[in-house]
Amino acid sequence: MPVFDLFNPSEEHAMLRRTVREFVRDQVEPQALVHDQQERFNLPLFRQLASLGLFGITVPLEYGGAGMDAVAAVIVHEELSASDPGFCLAYLAHSMLFVNNFYRNANDEQRRRYLPKVISGDWIGGMCMTEPSAGTDVLGMKTFAVRRGDYYYLNGRKMFITNGALDDTTPGDIFLVYAKTEKGISSFVVESRFPGFSLGQRLHHKTGMRASMTAELVFEDCAVPVENRLGEEGESLLHMMRNLEIERVTIAAMATGIAGRCVEIMTRYASERTAYGQPINSFGQIQRYIADSYAQYMAARTYLYHTASKLDLDRPGQRIDSDGVKLVATTMAKQVADNAMQVLGGYGYFGEYVVERLWRDAKLLEIGGGTLEAHQKNITKDLTRRLDVIR
Amino acid sequence: MKILVTVKRVPDPETTIRVKPDGSGIVTDNIKYVINPFDEIAIEEALRIKEKQGQGEVVLVSIGAKVASEQLRTGLAMGADRAILVLCDQELDSLGVARILAKIVEKEAPDLVLMGKQAIDDDANQAGQMLAALLNWPQATFASKVEFMDNYVQVVREVDGGLETVRFPLPGIITTDLRLNEPRYASLPGIMKARKKEIREIAVAELGIDTTPLLTVHKMDPPAKKAAGKKVESVQELVHLLHTEAKVI
Repeated sequence: MPVFDLFNPSEEHAMLRRTVREFVRDQVEPQALVHDQQERFNLPLFRQLASLGLFGITVPLEYGGAGMDAVAAVIVHEELSASDPGFCLAYLAHSMLFVNNFYRNANDEQRRRYLPKVISGDWIGGMCMTEPSAGTDVLGMKTFAVRRGDYYYLNGRKMFITNGALDDTTPGDIFLVYAKTEKGISSFVVESRFPGFSLGQRLHHKTGMRASMTAELVFEDCAVPVENRLGEEGESLLHMMRNLEIERVTIAAMATGIAGRCVEIMTRYASERTAYGQPINSFGQIQRYIADSYAQYMAARTYLYHTASKLDLDRPGQRIDSDGVKLVATTMAKQVADNAMQVLGGYGYFGEYVVERLWRDAKLLEIGGGTLEAHQKNITKDLTRRLDVIR
Repeated sequence: MKILVTVKRVPDPETTIRVKPDGSGIVTDNIKYVINPFDEIAIEEALRIKEKQGQGEVVLVSIGAKVASEQLRTGLAMGADRAILVLCDQELDSLGVARILAKIVEKEAPDLVLMGKQAIDDDANQAGQMLAALLNWPQATFASKVEFMDNYVQVVREVDGGLETVRFPLPGIITTDLRLNEPRYASLPGIMKARKKEIREIAVAELGIDTTPLLTVHKMDPPAKKAAGKKVESVQELVHLLHTEAKVI
């Protein structure tokens, strides 16, 4: 009887990891450095993820997806991020924030209309929540939609939107946009060709994640057909909560992907690099970096897979751990990347040795998809109400 | 067309192989296993033939322990239709493998057998040739291009110093070389579909053949460690040493 493998709970999960790892080794890794340096999104490579069937990973088979679970999504993010977190962030925005989020909240007609376009990668999507003056305080959003006849008219601006642009001038194709309406927060599927939609600032000079494009999107009396509203008016706070859970869990997976790679790099380097006539891994100071990094990585990774295996994609209610694992894993990844750079010394500070890029990329994970402070707020609130989770 | 493709479970070429101190074999702890890369090319070619012809069946066959079903499952996820696993715990030589495959060919009656030209673990490069002899079928080894004509198959072979084009009528055997194609990745839908595909297990004893090896491995030695390089002061010295010491010019 084989021992249960938390990180690959079924043969399908193990095969998925193997396929993605091979793809990453052959196709993703060789292009990562240059796309980071040039702040370019590799759209042709991105579309190859569609031929692997990865865009509809959590969408049931009957809608053209792969019908897999949160653990599968975690595996893909972990493997992509071990090589190119920026590229992985674009994947997260498309496959989780748009495709999965849309599938969970759309009706059948909407699913049939849009899923084939986004699962095939013909259209690239994203999600719009944050605004120039509203981040963690999401209910402070100013974008609003007013219904007139068969259309809603959207006005407002959305900020830091991953896949908002595909290059300097081309916007992404389709967005799930949250906006205030008469009855509360609602969400809309907005195609970038709708009148009143425009690409605002293309945001350059990010610290990391430079292989994904970030933009501001502007809505000026943007006309959205009523049949593009997801669910009923005012229902979308629930949609948002449900989506944030898988978003946070997959961001945590990006963090463990980064950390695992850093542990690998520093361990190998320390066994090869010599000082005072011996490999540097014979020094206690270096051993501490390696051992602490590995143990913290495994602790976070175990929490991650535990959380993912319990995550129900159809309903919210697991926020305490989706926030908990993101809080733990992202801070761990930043620390482990820093440890790796310290072990590599001067070499670690240069792009060729990979750690430098992962070190920059790791920081975003403490901010995007919910700041550390948002997780601290949520966890305290949920824990106070439900202290029984400890037992 | 029915195509039988052989699949061998071998250590991942990227793993570091260590020879046991007593030379009796390699250390197998913590080794990752993959489909023999040449067999992967054979699977890809079979799938392309089926896709091009719009019909047919691709059947995989592996010989070994139960764990070889992992590699068969990967081949099924690439798109093969079903698989056969001949369960066999004993060590086999190439002739034993060829005899087992001959029995499977007898049962399955494929139009074509596609095999890797060799397995990257023992590099024997014999099973395909021996199978052709046992079946008295035509063979084309080291294929870099396969094309189907009206009533024969045309194969371009990579031979020393160039290419050789051969033709034979089916049924026959083709062994694949590195440049024949670039195998696809198992897609996620492919992985999900593979779960429902059949892997039929046959105990080697059921086949009623003698697989006692004629060839046994007596000893394995790791390759000699590379000696450290030498720094030279000038081009003159380099040329001199290349001539007198390395004897390459």
